[in-house]
Amino acid sequence: MLEVKNVSKIYGEAANRVVALNGVSLQAMKGDFIAIMGPSGSGKSTLLNIIGGLDCPSSGEVMLDGKRIDALHEDALVDIRRGRIAYVFQQYHLLPSLTALENVLLPLVFRGRHNGAQRASDMLARVGLGHRVNHRPGQLSGGEQQRVAIARALVNDPALILADEPTGNMDQKTGMEILDLFRQLHREGHSIIMVTHNPEIARHAGEIIVLQDGEIADRIEQERSGRDES
Amino acid sequence: MKLHRIVVKDVMRRKRRVLYAVLGVVIGIMTVISILTVALAGQSRIYQQLEDYGANLIVIPAVSQLNLELGGLGLGALTVGQNYIPEDRVAQVRKITDDMINHALGVEDEQLRYAAPVSPKLYVSGEVRGTSVMVVGIDPEQERSIKTWWRIQEGEYLDGTDQALVGALAAELLDLRTGDRIVLGGFDMTIAGILHETGSDDDYQVFVPIKMAQVAFDREGVVSSVDVRALCIACPVEDIADEINLMVPGVRALAVKQIAMTEMGMMDRINRFMLALAGITLAVGMFGVVNTMTTSVHERIRDIGIMRAVGASRGQIARTFIYEAIIVGILGGILGYVAGTLLAYAIGPMIFQGVAVSYVPRYLALSLVLAILVAVAATLYPAFRATRIRVADSFRSL
Repeated sequence: MLEVKNVSKIYGEAANRVVALNGVSLQAMKGDFIAIMGPSGSGKSTLLNIIGGLDCPSSGEVMLDGKRIDALHEDALVDIRRGRIAYVFQQYHLLPSLTALENVLLPLVFRGRHNGAQRASDMLARVGLGHRVNHRPGQLSGGEQQRVAIARALVNDPALILADEPTGNMDQKTGMEILDLFRQLHREGHSIIMVTHNPEIARHAGEIIVLQDGEIADRIEQERSGRDES
Repeated sequence: MKLHRIVVKDVMRRKRRVLYAVLGVVIGIMTVISILTVALAGQSRIYQQLEDYGANLIVIPAVSQLNLELGGLGLGALTVGQNYIPEDRVAQVRKITDDMINHALGVEDEQLRYAAPVSPKLYVSGEVRGTSVMVVGIDPEQERSIKTWWRIQEGEYLDGTDQALVGALAAELLDLRTGDRIVLGGFDMTIAGILHETGSDDDYQVFVPIKMAQVAFDREGVVSSVDVRALCIACPVEDIADEINLMVPGVRALAVKQIAMTEMGMMDRINRFMLALAGITLAVGMFGVVNTMTTSVHERIRDIGIMRAVGASRGQIARTFIYEAIIVGILGGILGYVAGTLLAYAIGPMIFQGVAVSYVPRYLALSLVLAILVAVAATLYPAFRATRIRVADSFRSL
């Protein structure tokens, strides 16, 4: 479904040149749960941004369902974001002026669907926030905000969910709750690529890709795929 | 939920920032509206004054004086020509006047044609109750629209052929009252009404319908003079006079230079100058809005990135800013109208002594349109900048 071929990303020029990614390749099939690990600055987030079309690679190709998306025009990327790929960020990235329900509705609003309130509140119920739909992000805890962000990612029923350190801002317990939510989504058939530096979390993925200085240092296929575990 | 609701919610959260932008619009709109309101008050005052000027074009018989000279020795003057104007000339004068005014005003539609009051008059000497008085034959309707200051002191205005209207002092001297019957040129007449004192010759005269005067005093088919009221900024009075002199035989047309006209022209120039100033204020206010909106884009880089990441197109991002500009425009338009009107009430009396400034409801529509235009125009560039923001950059910049 997703294929990353020999992708590099270079910031700056000449003396200030920083190589963030150097010839990274990976593949993800439908229903995969891939964890990307590595120390800070190893290029994890850059890789995830490139996969999702939020950033352009300096060289290399990104194919989604057999089509290149790395050099797509902004307007074409909009279609990909409206249903095929959804993001969950470390800082949740919710709009502060909108309620939880409205934040979940947002992707539907941009798609021009004005009657998605029921679906949005179903999604909130699914992430366990059915009782806090009218709270604003400021009134929710970190874990709750991340649940809202996950509900927002799910509302368009995306083929691939990209999560950039979704538990990075949380204590261990909340982090594990969020992880459980991701595992449940995985069991339901969603494909997930998650950046994390928590080995405990990565342990539940089907494959771990370890990045170091912009290159893949290690690839671990895990026997205990998240899907098999009950 | 629709896009504009998201914008409204966001505006509510960033009240202070939005109010800064509104203030920028208000300052410009306030200036424009106050100038327009004061100017309108001043103009209506000048129009009021214009009413009191009466006719500004007088057509009289072309009586010329030939100076007879013989070997440098003056032999006196010889008056040549008639003392009356044939009545059919009145229609010619009317046609020339109307054609030239409508041409000057650019009116082509027959329905909208401006018709200047043209009032023929016949002066005859009559005798009432043994006293000789000046009897003036008038076209009641036309005379009334030239002498707008005429007020009836008693009785009614002329309404029938055998009626007479008497000037205030004439009535007093002759001891005439409404309903009294008098004999003029052998015809019985009823006094229909008595005029208020005007301070002019009118006070000593007796007015009768011109047809009546012509018959009673044996002057059928002629008039003594024609008064024309061609009062408007664009009215080319002097050109009309020239044209009448050229085209209509046997008459002489005299244009009366009007102070009011000069005043009107001056007013017009001052208005334009003031509006130019207001335009500058508006432009300055607009830069304020550009500034605030640019800051707003900057503050919302993260929000813009979020919206892009969850599927907003660049057009939708631009629209959120345009919607915000429309909100700013509506608020700025309403507040600017109110502030401008209050300002007009405050400064109007200082500019035109004794003038009554009154608010002009239709300027509310004007200020709304103007404010929305300014706010949207000021937002175009910042909105364009917002659409250039890339998602990854927006998150990195934090």
